[in-house]
Amino acid sequence: MYLIGNIALILGIVISLYALIANIIGLKRKDERWLESARGGVLSLAFVASISAFLLFYILGTSQFQFQYVASYTNNELPIIYKLAAFWAGNAGSLLLWTFLLSIYTAIIVLNKKKQNKMIPYVSSILLTNILFFYIVMVLNANPFEMTDTIPLDGKGLNPMLQNPGMVLHPVTLYMGYVGLAVPFAYAIAALIMKRMDAEWIKLTRRWTLTAWLFLTLGNMIGGWWAYLELGWGGYWAWDPVENASFLPWLTVSAFLHSMMIQERKNMLKTWNLSLIILSYILTLFGTFLVRSGILTSVHSFGDSNLGSYFLIFMAFMMLFAIYVVATRYQLIKSDSKPIESYFSKESSFLLNNFILITATFAVFFGTMYPLISETITGTKVNVGAPYFNKVMAPIMLVLLLLMAICPLISWQKAVFDRFIRNTLIPLFAAIVFAIILVLMGIKGIYAIIGLTVTVFMFNVHLAEIWRGTRARQKATKEGFIKALFRLTRKNQRRYGGYIVHIGIAIIAVGVISSNAYSEEVMKTVGQGESFQVGHYELTFKELTEIEKNGNGIVTANMDVNYKGKRNGTIHPEKIFYGTWPEPSSEVAIKTNLTEDLYVVLSSWESKEKATFVIKINPFVSWIWAGGILMVIGTAIALIGGKTSAAFRIGSRQRGVRA
Amino acid sequence: MTKNKKIVFGLSLVAAAIMIMFFSTMPSAGSKEIAIEELLNNKDSFKDEYVMTQGLLIEDSVQWNADKIELRFEIVEDGRDRILPVIYNGVKPDNFSEDVIVIVEGFLNEKGEFEAERVQTKCPSKYEGEDPENYDPEMHQNRNKTNED
Repeated sequence: MYLIGNIALILGIVISLYALIANIIGLKRKDERWLESARGGVLSLAFVASISAFLLFYILGTSQFQFQYVASYTNNELPIIYKLAAFWAGNAGSLLLWTFLLSIYTAIIVLNKKKQNKMIPYVSSILLTNILFFYIVMVLNANPFEMTDTIPLDGKGLNPMLQNPGMVLHPVTLYMGYVGLAVPFAYAIAALIMKRMDAEWIKLTRRWTLTAWLFLTLGNMIGGWWAYLELGWGGYWAWDPVENASFLPWLTVSAFLHSMMIQERKNMLKTWNLSLIILSYILTLFGTFLVRSGILTSVHSFGDSNLGSYFLIFMAFMMLFAIYVVATRYQLIKSDSKPIESYFSKESSFLLNNFILITATFAVFFGTMYPLISETITGTKVNVGAPYFNKVMAPIMLVLLLLMAICPLISWQKAVFDRFIRNTLIPLFAAIVFAIILVLMGIKGIYAIIGLTVTVFMFNVHLAEIWRGTRARQKATKEGFIKALFRLTRKNQRRYGGYIVHIGIAIIAVGVISSNAYSEEVMKTVGQGESFQVGHYELTFKELTEIEKNGNGIVTANMDVNYKGKRNGTIHPEKIFYGTWPEPSSEVAIKTNLTEDLYVVLSSWESKEKATFVIKINPFVSWIWAGGILMVIGTAIALIGGKTSAAFRIGSRQRGVRA
Repeated sequence: MTKNKKIVFGLSLVAAAIMIMFFSTMPSAGSKEIAIEELLNNKDSFKDEYVMTQGLLIEDSVQWNADKIELRFEIVEDGRDRILPVIYNGVKPDNFSEDVIVIVEGFLNEKGEFEAERVQTKCPSKYEGEDPENYDPEMHQNRNKTNED
């Protein structure tokens, strides 16, 4: 087993190196046979990487503690699903996961007969460079198949915090996003090398980019959800360097998803799009470097891994390479770019949206790096935490929401101002009515009210757009409303998928704004039978019980809940003491209704009759998860639908209908 | 001037405005990272300044007053002997045991005690080799937040 594992890794290096060289020779000599051989190399590489991956799953699943990785992250008692999920619990395994995904992606690209073109050898070379890098790091620094000196009877076990469904999903989804971004990057560079300045690379990689973005969204959402359920501080996002690292590429790809449409249709913004995709790719490497090098003070313990330096070197190499390629072709890119025709057009509104998203990227980047920047300049490390990010990001996000409200109404080229005003009026009016109702209800907090109003405005605009489209179709086809709505979406999935994503964002915004502005927290020590009030809830501490389960001791507090004077069941926060892990952990109890979460943590106790609780009322948090699901659905609709050309045709026809 | 240039010009103005916003927010929202030794040696200069410092927990010093929800403990810099007493109006983190690294943020008061607004812990060695990238929420596992907003 040890042999197979290590041979597979060495083979990985050999094959990727060979395929890379075969590609280069093939391209130099214009020799199909070499290129064909490189393709074979890529396929066998995918095979070898799959063997490594399956092997790691196998030794984890069968608890072969002679392997260091297995012994470090699992033990006998661990449920099988977490034994397998321990695949990505450590450095070595996550590198293997990355390599595996990358080699599968490369194989898909090389295999896809329909999309064969001259770019492929370049694309595969760039991806192979990536794969080679990961293999080298694995062999030199983090080998998942390393043996232990003496075979332990049992492993160390998986950190209890990781024994959550989030662990099964979150890392994989995030990685699929990260890895996916290498593909559009490779196409972009390939197009540049070949001096092909059209939007071909964008069209070919639209689905890759969108899929990567989908997984980044999903990964971040699941991460937040997991943190909220597991960590007991009542929040879902803390602006920690590690979180920011995965948020940054999300922002730049979001910008790219919009600006690439302009290049597709108008052949504008070429340099910009290239820079965005290069930046997104570099940010995935940068994020990995950041979290593995330990240069920033985070609550994480990073261990003494020097993986960071590998990533820094590779990142610098790829960045210089990309800059070199762009710089040498700059005149070419420049020569057939078109200028913007009108200020008031979709083009310029997308440009503005890009600008805001990049500003957000920069703000997050700046805050994350500020400790290092300030140390370099003044000698003192200044950490900026959540207050900075909240303060800076709130207005940026507000502008972004406002843009999202306005932009769908602005048409391509030169928009008609009258129609824009007409279409804005009702949604805006409804949003203002909403704001007035909020104020009348006695809701405080001017910023939150502004934020919510803009969100509602944005939501209304999208509903109205969908409604108008459906009505227009109904008029033309005499279909029923539902049928017309369905057909309309079906015919133009990119546009309406996008709208659904925006609506999802609106719903998330409601959750984020409300939970930031209106959450309540109470810390309370109470005796048995004692009641206390939090928000609309009245909690009564009944008793503390202790049970033994699977070798873990579980202390549970039983509490009765009254909501607005009515009995509303019970709630049971727990504290778990693990047999195989030194620290206990708090198991949060959450009671969700449509508008708020009751979030209770059992903190400590003096005796069976007296315990301390932390109770939070988090308004609208469940909306965040609902909005996330909607975003995923919308992205999926945009993803499966619409060839570029078809979308273009229908898009123009629809404008005709509306006009 | 072409429209492109005008747009670029306009956007750069906005960018400049936003940059100013960043920098003006920074000092008020940041916390200086100061070593315990330095903090105690320059008590006066750090008065009324929001600072962040870290040290190892001395478990025997932990006093928990459940009724007042007040936590008192002492931390010491690794390899040094200056001790920093900390007061925190909040609950005890889950792994508050000997030699855990405690990160505190707050103010040094006149009596030389540190009034913490945030207390976080991390384990020096137990998670070694684990991959933070994979489970970013894990970093908060010991985080005890009371002043998130």
